Parts: sequence; C-alpha cells; structure tokens
Amino acid sequence: MKIVLYLHMHQPWRLGRFRYLDLGSDRPYIDERRNLEIFRGIADRCYRPALARIAKALAEYPEFRLSLSVTGTFLEQAERTAPDVIDRLREIVATHRVALLSETYYHSLAFLLSPPELAEEVAQHRAALRERLGAAPRVLRMTELAYSDELAQFAARERFEGMLMEGWEGVLKGRAPTHVYQSIAAPSVGLLPRHYPLSDDVGFRFSSAGWSEYPLTSEKYGRWIAATPGDVVNLFMDFETFGEHHPASSGILDFLSALPGAMRAHPGLDWATVEEALALPRAGPVSVPVTISWADQNRDLGAWLGNDLQRSAFEAAKKVGQIVRRSGDPELLDIWRKLLTSDHFYYMYVGGHGADAGVHQYFNSYGNPYDAYANYMNVLTDLRRHALERVAA
Amino acid sequence: MVGWEWPPSHSGGLGVHVFELSQELVRLGHRITFLLPFDGERTPVDGVEFRTPWSPEAFPYPGAYDVHGSPGGGWGETDIYAFNEWIAGYPAKGFDVVHAHDWFGTVGASRLAGRFGLPLVLTIHSTEYDRSLDHPWTEILAREQFGIDRARRVIAVSRHLKAQIVKRYHARPEKVDVVYNAVRPTGRLSPLTGGRKIVLCLGRLAAMKAVDTFLRAAARVAATEPSALFVVAGEGPEFPRLLRLAVSLGLGERVLFLGKVTDEERTTLLEAATVYVLPSVVEPFGIAALEAMAAGVPAIVSKTSGVAEMSEGVFTVDFWDVEEFASRIAELLAYPTLRAAMGEAGRISATREGWEERARQTIEVYHRAISGGRP
Repeated sequence: MKIVLYLHMHQPWRLGRFRYLDLGSDRPYIDERRNLEIFRGIADRCYRPALARIAKALAEYPEFRLSLSVTGTFLEQAERTAPDVIDRLREIVATHRVALLSETYYHSLAFLLSPPELAEEVAQHRAALRERLGAAPRVLRMTELAYSDELAQFAARERFEGMLMEGWEGVLKGRAPTHVYQSIAAPSVGLLPRHYPLSDDVGFRFSSAGWSEYPLTSEKYGRWIAATPGDVVNLFMDFETFGEHHPASSGILDFLSALPGAMRAHPGLDWATVEEALALPRAGPVSVPVTISWADQNRDLGAWLGNDLQRSAFEAAKKVGQIVRRSGDPELLDIWRKLLTSDHFYYMYVGGHGADAGVHQYFNSYGNPYDAYANYMNVLTDLRRHALERVAA
Repeated sequence: MVGWEWPPSHSGGLGVHVFELSQELVRLGHRITFLLPFDGERTPVDGVEFRTPWSPEAFPYPGAYDVHGSPGGGWGETDIYAFNEWIAGYPAKGFDVVHAHDWFGTVGASRLAGRFGLPLVLTIHSTEYDRSLDHPWTEILAREQFGIDRARRVIAVSRHLKAQIVKRYHARPEKVDVVYNAVRPTGRLSPLTGGRKIVLCLGRLAAMKAVDTFLRAAARVAATEPSALFVVAGEGPEFPRLLRLAVSLGLGERVLFLGKVTDEERTTLLEAATVYVLPSVVEPFGIAALEAMAAGVPAIVSKTSGVAEMSEGVFTVDFWDVEEFASRIAELLAYPTLRAAMGEAGRISATREGWEERARQTIEVYHRAISGGRP
C-alpha cells in the first residue's frame, strides 16, 4: 500500500479597499503591505517550521516522499517577503523525493473560461516552477481540486500523466478511493482520488477536542492507514494545516515529524510521490461529466459560483477579460488574472450551513460577502476603464 | 407601564416600542395600565388602559422630543415634578411590575414601586448624553441616573447602549439586559420602477442624526449618478442648517426635504427607495433602518448604531467617513445584483425576530426582576 502525502501551498493577492469614489484614481487595487504582513505571519507559524520538519524527515527517512503544489501568487509573495521559504523549497525538491504539481499560476477559475486561457496560465506556472524551483511537473491539479472529463482531456492534450480529484462517492460509484483510476474521456490520464475521511482527520479534525478520536497520534493514524484496503491512500490537504489551520500548540508539527516513523512500524506501507503512485495498475475508468471539487458538503463549485453575487462578478470578469486581451497590455492581463484567483469569489459566499459556514468565515478577508462583491466590482470597473483607454490608444 | 408618547402622536422609536410591546404583552396574556402625561388621540389596544393626569387643553404637546429640540417639549421642571408626583400616588392595586421608559417618569415610578413593594424595570431607549451630543441637561441626567440606580432590571435596546449605561451610569452589567426593537412582518414591498433612483434618509433632524453627513455624501455621489434623487424625510431643529448646507453643496435640485411624514407616506417612501442611509453619530437603535430592511431596501448604517449590531446584509460605515458613505451609496446604485442580494438578506435578518419575541424577552426580564434581589 502506497501513501501519497500531497500538500497545497497558496496565498492570494487580496484586494485593498477600493472605493467607488476611487474609480479613475491611481490607488492600487492590491494592498501589498497587508498581503505581505499576512504572509510573514503564516511563514513564521507554518511555512518555516513545517518545511524544517519536512527537510529533517527527508534526511532521516530515505523512504519518505512528499508532493507539493505551489501557486505563482504564493511564489511572488514569498519572493518579496520570505525568500528563505523558496530556498528551502528548492532544497527539498533537489532531493528528488519531493514531486511538484502543475496548476494555474494564479490559482484561478480559468478552467471555467476557455482552454486557451487555461493553457496559458498553466504554462506560466510551469515556467515559474522551472525557473524558481528547478522542477518539471508531470501531474496536474486544478484550482480547489476541480476535476471533470473535460479537464482530463485538457490534461491529455498538455501531456500530463495524471490528475488529482476528490475521492467522492458520487463519481466513484461504490469503488474505493484507494486505487488509481483513469479518465473515461482521456484514458492516458491517471486519476488519484483524495481519501477525504483520512485527509480531513488531519486537515479539519486534528485539533477538535470534541472529536471522539481526539487526540490523534501518529501511531493511531498509522494503524488506520495500515488497516485501509487498496493500493494507495491519497492524503491531500492544505500545507497550512501544519501550523496555521492548526496552531503549533495543538501538536500538529510534532505529528508531521512523527509520521514517517509511525508508517515504518507497518511493513506493508510505502511512501510515494504522485508520479510514483501513477505507476500503479489502473482500476478502471471514472466518468465525471460535471465538475467536482474538494470543497464543502456538496463537492461542487458552489463555494465560488453558487450565488448571484459570485456569478455576476465572474460574468463581469469574463467580459472585462475580452477587453483586456484586446488591449494587449501584459500588465493589465496580469492584474486581470489576479482577479480570477478563486479566493475573491470565495469571499462572496453567502451563508452556508453548519461546518461549511465556519470554514468560509475562517478564510474570508472581508467582513461580509457584500463588501467583497462591491470592492471586487469597483476594481473590475476601474480595470475595464484602463483597458478601454489602452484599446483606444 | 410609565411612558410618554403613544402612536399616532409619537416622534421616535420609543413610541413604536411601547405600542408594539404592549400589544404583544396583551396577546401573551398580560394586562397593562399605561400612565401618560397627556391626553389626546391614541391608537387603542385591547387590554391596555390609559391614565393621564391632565386634559389635552392644559398640555397639548404631542411627543417626547419636540421639533424645537428642547427636551420635554416646552415642559417646565414643575410639570415634570407634578407628573412624577401623580405617578407616585397612583393606586397600583393588583400589579406585578412597574415598567418605566426613559427618564421622565423614573422618580414617580420608583416611588410607586416602593409603595407597593413591586420591582421597577426601566427601559432605556437613548441616553441624555446621546441626545445632547455630550452636553447633557443635568436635570434629565439626574432623573436617568435615579431610574438606573433604583431599577431592579434595566433593559437597553442595543449592546452598544448597554455598554454606555454600564460605563457612564455605573450600572452593574449583570443588571442590564438587551432587548432589541423589531418590525412587524410585512410582505416585501414591490419597488417602484422606471423612475429615478431614490436614496432615502428618514428620521428626526437632530444633531445626533448627522443628516449633514448624508448631504455631504450625496454631493459626492450626485456628479457620478445623475439619476439619483436624495430624499430627507423628517423634521427637527437642524432643518434650517441642513437646508443651507444642501444649497451650498450645490444639491439644490437633487435633494428633497419632505418634512414629517405620516405612516402611509413612510410606507410609500420605503417602496420607492433604492437605498436607505442611517448616518447617525449616535443611534441607540435606529428603527427606521430596520423598517427599510424589512421592506427589502438595502441599508447603509453607522457602525455604532444598535441596528448594525443585530443585522446582516447591511453596509456598516464609521459615522465620520463621508467618502465611505458616498462610495457605499454609489456601489448600491451601480450594482443591481448587490442591491437585490443585500435587500433580501436584510429583509430576512430584520424580520427573523418580531415583536412577539421582544415581548417574550421582556417578560423574562420581568421574571428576573420579580425573583431578583434589591437593585
């Protein structure tokens, strides 16, 4: 049984307050200082200590493997305020036991726009990884673990060997998430389904004192994995799980350090990168006609495009995109793509029930969805004006 | 219950509160004797008996805070004294609780409660510090303080107001309960369409209501939103100053001062409004904003207002931030999807708990007052 531990590293460029009365002014859309301040805080609590633990584990346990995705907007912020984080990433990638994944540079919703736009953003990300981390990924993950037959076809065209997806019952139809599957629409693309119960035990439940399994030790977790039937257990979660979503005081960093040792206690378990796992035999085709994601109880795109505000903002962004493209201005294109980062739409999510509502509140950089929408629309309106000026010139 | 004003002759949230609360208390099986200083036209409620010391000819004044801004509406200290003497001597047989509102009857109500060994409950709707923008009249301040000291339980209409009662009147926090205002559930009003977009500000034209902020914000928006009409409904001592300000801001044809409006006109205004603005420097509650929300009109309210702390689907703004008020108005005028989403969220939020819940919460306070110890 292979264990794939895949961690996702991303920080968005959050917008500053851009008032309606700021339209036509030179006020920047992005509050760089605030973003970098947030980044520094998370670097101290999470990126630095967790990467140090990972580097140590790689040195002590030659069998340990890790897979990572790092967005372009993350790299930009790290470069400006915590370059040592990038150095550390480069070091662990150089061990050849850490695989990096491809995605869009901007952690964007480009997959809902057009294949050419998506291809450009994926290419931009690939170039950034090659240049900054010396990596050449062979596996694709889409923003928020979005997956569909169409995306598999895209992956095939772009010569990726596999994609990640949510191990959701609705699409696996009674089959276990502990096998490698292939896309029904693009058989060359292998699929690694996330084992969400075991992933969320760490990602969401680790520090919940009310959880019946609290506290979760690495030994207990090792036993659970060893007792799981199948070929591969895919543990996919945010990198920020380690020190940010769960603070160091919860013991999460020690848990991370102890994982390789705990797995060693079970002879049947073996670490693998996403690329190594894709070499396992395929257990059959999976059909996903409608896009799924790893978010919320519904595993759909509702967290980003579920309400009128979100859909209206996205439609407006699409239209502005056409003008921006016509302007041919690379700077405007970069700003527009930053506005496609999924987080902006997530901030416009209204309400929610139970567990989902809490998660949404935690990640929101605004007080409420209406603030988020108004601010976003102001920025978009201003960008449109800039682009129109450029087109006219 | 000891009050001051009662619909239809009321000038603020207090009159609405006692009217709606009394109705619901009766519906929940309680009987109320209402002591008021003046006689006159009153909307009758079964189960509520009114008692007044004087005839309307002697005291024709219709509301607690008159249009000229002087507290007590032209009443002298002697009249307040006489009113309280009358309350103190009222034959209070068969009552369980004496419930007073604001400052004017506190002394009499406290003595009445003392005579019959009944607990005194005092609801504070606003404080003298707020009404006077920190230039309190000591006579009123003393009566407020007296009531807060003597009441076994104090009800504040917002958390913000409770904090003030604790800080400035030194009430023990555990003695003060918060019971918000509410609105009666109505159907969603169907907005008037086709005409100009209307930005509405509705309330007494008193300094604490900061209608000047509304006008300054309007001046910033007027240029970019040529279709917007800014409407000020209400009367008060600030009117001449506000009118001059509107003219000097060049708002001449863009702003409409309607004066005092009837309930029916109020409903029509809410139907017609595109955006509602509550810019108050001090607003213990802000019931008109809640009415606007209940009608599905998206609202922009001061951060310090009571309505801001209990509402979802509103924009909250620092009362001094004219640019932000202007931007929020412009955003709501510019983005129909935002208007619709906030209108709906505000409507749900404003009507989630009605007067019946407020009455139940008030009865809980009565029970705490009856079973509780000395003030």
